[in-house]
Amino acid sequence: MLWFKRLSVVGFWLVLVLSVAVITAAVKQRFEDGPNRVFSGGALIQGALYQGREPDWSFVNEIATIELQLLQPEQSRRVWVASVSGRLFVWSGYMNSFMGKLWKQWPLQAERDNRAVVRIDGKRYKRQLVRVREGAVLDDLTAIINEKYPSRTSRAAVESGAVWVYELAPRSEPTEMVQGARP
Amino acid sequence: MKRRSVLGLGVIVFTSAMVWFVPGIDDGVESVFQLLVLLVSR
Repeated sequence: MLWFKRLSVVGFWLVLVLSVAVITAAVKQRFEDGPNRVFSGGALIQGALYQGREPDWSFVNEIATIELQLLQPEQSRRVWVASVSGRLFVWSGYMNSFMGKLWKQWPLQAERDNRAVVRIDGKRYKRQLVRVREGAVLDDLTAIINEKYPSRTSRAAVESGAVWVYELAPRSEPTEMVQGARP
Repeated sequence: MKRRSVLGLGVIVFTSAMVWFVPGIDDGVESVFQLLVLLVSR
């Protein structure tokens, strides 16, 4: 019985140290420029801001993940990505589950403010997240997702709300007020 | 009991400081966490 007690004590301290280390590393990452592998990061700062014509996003089908940052709050995370017909898509699964709702906060935050910045290959792009709830594009998109990632999703899963799909569309900035001009 | 609480607080502060200030430890911790998540999810 004594060995069990000692083992419990050692286990307790190990769990304590590991928990504190994980929490500290996760909090520290929030102050960094972008996410690491798992932990969310702060605002995407480094990298030239892309200005020019709308790119053909097909190249992202060769890229495992991109960095996605919302403007409110200014947090970034690494997400899977796919392109269909030159358009750029990201998604979030497990949205119907309790754990998913706890774990996946960014889609809920994007519902409140959909402005985003993505960083791909060190280049930043201003975008806005536009939710795609239905449509034929989902057939092509889920086919690419299932081929590219160890994932099994479908158009039905998206339409049921279990998977939230967003197109990263060009951001339509509000017209800036010119000084002296009448509204 | 009090001694154990002080020891616990010391462990928390020391671990946090190491992870925060020593370069590379946070990355290693993230790797361990990633591995644990993978193991649990399988």
